[in-house]
Amino acid sequence: MKKISRRTAIKGALAAGASTAVLAKVAIHSRPALAQGMKQIRMVPHADLRVLDPIWTTANVSAYHGAMIYDTLFAYDGNLQPQPQMVGRHGVSDDKKTYTFELRPGLKFHDGTAVTSKDCVASLRRWAARDGAGQHMMQRVNDITAPDDKTIKIDLKEPYGLIYEALAKTSTPLCYMMKEEVAKTDPNTQITKHIGCGPFKFVESEYRPGSRVVYDKNPDYVPRSEPASGIAGGKVVKIDRVIWDVMPDAQTAASALINGEIDFFEVPPIDIIPTLESAKGVKIEVLNKLGNVGYCRLNFLHPPFNNVKARQAAQLAVSQEDFLQAAIGNSKYYQTCGSHFTCGSPMGVEDGGEIFKMPMAQRQAKARELLKESGYDGKPVIVLHATDIHVMNQAAQVIAQNLRQIGMNVQLAASDWGGVVTRRSIKVPPEAGGWNVFFTWGGGNATSSPINLFAHAATGESAWFGWPSNALHEQLRNEWAAAPSLEARREVARRMNKNMIDYVHDIKTGQWVGPVAYRADRIKGILPVPEILPWWNVERIG
Amino acid sequence: MMAYIVRRLLATIPVMAIVGVFVFMLLHLTPGDPAAIIAGDNATPANIAAIRNRLGLDRPLHEQFLTWVWATVRGDLGISMFSNLPVTKLVLQRAEPTIALTTTTLIVAVSIAITVGVLAAWKAGSLLDRVVMAFAVMGFSVPVFVVGYLLVYFFSVKLRWLPVQGYVSIDQGLWPCLRNLILPSIALGLAYVALIARITRASMLEVLAEDYIRTANAKGVATGSVLMKHALKNAAVPIVTVIGIGVALLISGVVITESVFNIPGVGRLVVDAIARRDYPIIQGVMIIFSGVYVLVNLAVDIIYTFLDPRIRY
Repeated sequence: MKKISRRTAIKGALAAGASTAVLAKVAIHSRPALAQGMKQIRMVPHADLRVLDPIWTTANVSAYHGAMIYDTLFAYDGNLQPQPQMVGRHGVSDDKKTYTFELRPGLKFHDGTAVTSKDCVASLRRWAARDGAGQHMMQRVNDITAPDDKTIKIDLKEPYGLIYEALAKTSTPLCYMMKEEVAKTDPNTQITKHIGCGPFKFVESEYRPGSRVVYDKNPDYVPRSEPASGIAGGKVVKIDRVIWDVMPDAQTAASALINGEIDFFEVPPIDIIPTLESAKGVKIEVLNKLGNVGYCRLNFLHPPFNNVKARQAAQLAVSQEDFLQAAIGNSKYYQTCGSHFTCGSPMGVEDGGEIFKMPMAQRQAKARELLKESGYDGKPVIVLHATDIHVMNQAAQVIAQNLRQIGMNVQLAASDWGGVVTRRSIKVPPEAGGWNVFFTWGGGNATSSPINLFAHAATGESAWFGWPSNALHEQLRNEWAAAPSLEARREVARRMNKNMIDYVHDIKTGQWVGPVAYRADRIKGILPVPEILPWWNVERIG
Repeated sequence: MMAYIVRRLLATIPVMAIVGVFVFMLLHLTPGDPAAIIAGDNATPANIAAIRNRLGLDRPLHEQFLTWVWATVRGDLGISMFSNLPVTKLVLQRAEPTIALTTTTLIVAVSIAITVGVLAAWKAGSLLDRVVMAFAVMGFSVPVFVVGYLLVYFFSVKLRWLPVQGYVSIDQGLWPCLRNLILPSIALGLAYVALIARITRASMLEVLAEDYIRTANAKGVATGSVLMKHALKNAAVPIVTVIGIGVALLISGVVITESVFNIPGVGRLVVDAIARRDYPIIQGVMIIFSGVYVLVNLAVDIIYTFLDPRIRY
């Protein structure tokens, strides 16, 4: 056998080391140069940007990405009123069945080509195939056409009052405009080209999933002349670059903000807020005033919650205050609410919500009666318990305890959130691997509309998980969509809320807001928008 | 020797195959559906079913397994279910920070651990020995993330000497790169130092009691020479063994350290992938990690022959 000398071995080791170094260099072949002298902002978003198609997914972080690089035909202003954005002149026919939009001049995609109405028609069609509000709208649409390069025409079968609202909404997925060739991608397949028309350009060469996303100012973007408000108005970019640093650890992000390594931290945990409040230069602010709405879904398909009395019992038993104290902790950031449509929003009516104001002991006594009347036989009630997300973890435990207090035999099925989202889609009986209750939350903005949030549908087995079924509710949703004015919609919402509480669509567990933390000594001009984080209008001051 | 190396390399194939089967089965038997996670919270059951179909997750398990094995054999680790990017590209993007962190930790930890281990053995029973051993116990007992947070609190937030987080490529200068690696390396290396220092001390104590050491001392050989040339070389085999075994400790520590210090390395890649059930990434990284571990152990076996001429394969 041939022997290997020490010298040979050392050479081999050096060669191996060199190979490793080469490998590492290969890995960083496209490493960017440092952005010297640029006005840049570093921020930590609430989640990693994994999906670059903001139409294909409902993930908020993908919608943020969309807001950076795409634009919308209409957009909500700061008062939640739809305003034209990419559209200049627009109008509706006397019979309210034809909407005409004209694109404003100077709109260009990031590859230099002009935005045409054909691009917008293809984008509208793809968005409508994925979005709840879009689908609701399309049921009433005869055709969407592009009579010329600048004009988009929507012909309706019947008058429909939500066209502007649907196209302007900030709840996901937003109706972003893409190039026709991209927008023709199957709605169930992610797009692979990211050519925007918005105020920032996506720097794909610097994109590191799980770590970093980079956007540069789009110098060709033509902002509207009105002042920025909500996601409407002039999107004037005052910085050169925005870097999203994905940080999985909140404590690290907080320390980085205090140390001045980042400028903005989107979701500091409530327990870290006091530390950040006392840090020099750091400001805490609530940007999304509608915040989040918690709700637990009951499985309508199986006992005990296929019986309305059992659902009503559970509704009385679950205490919003208990949940909010356990999950959020600081009453400055939460509120109880008797509305299914987000308190504080235009539809935030609380008709029927009086029952939540009863003393807890009285509610529990009534709940026990209702449970008895429902014929509940003591079979285990399976509550899905996501242990890896603080709010979810606390919620499941509080809900379980609340239900036990009225005599339910509750079993917590613990897993991570990934396990919960898998199991909640299973329709078999709980004892065969299904479930009875799970908790989640939605954006207050999306929840405020009976149409925008898919979870508001009560269409039985085709509805969202829990599969609620109620014919009157569906009738009221249609009535709401056809209502001619905000006041008329509020009136329908009142009836809808009462009905939803009566048949227990789901159980609302209260509302909370998540403050952001940022270096007020370095940046200013962040716009408060529900569910979107805009970076136009923001200035670097230090 | 060459035949032995070839034999050992060939033996890695069944090891990797077993690892592959375990990783695949564990992942697919764990509750959690990537399609449901990808689809998002407002997805309809039809959306989820469409994604499952597109990803091939509705195909029989054995079919999915064979497809994965065939692709892996050809060097194709697949495409991330979430980012739609090739796993190889994602791993290569993340390789540099992880290689830099582990290499720095390894070099610093081994240098410190062997030095203090030798000193503790030389001065056995002294205050120095007790301090070293107390430090070793602490190193084992305190979790990496606690050490990490404490280091950040004192050296970054309070003293402002070092950055809290992030990684700077060596392309941008050696000092900026090292500056970002100091705290993570200390946090990651503490348990490793403790482990190696204890083994070095124990192994050295055994050798220092041998007749030939007494003879060397009696001949008047300098203490340094006795310790380093005569004792340490003969005590090295168990130390090298532990260094090799400790690589597994290092790999698991990297996963936590990269999260605490926000280092965009392979460890964080796999943690994110596990949370999302991104099967191709988890499978690919596990195969790579186990391959590295197998090769490290092969290197350890080869190093034995240089440290102890009596060992021949």
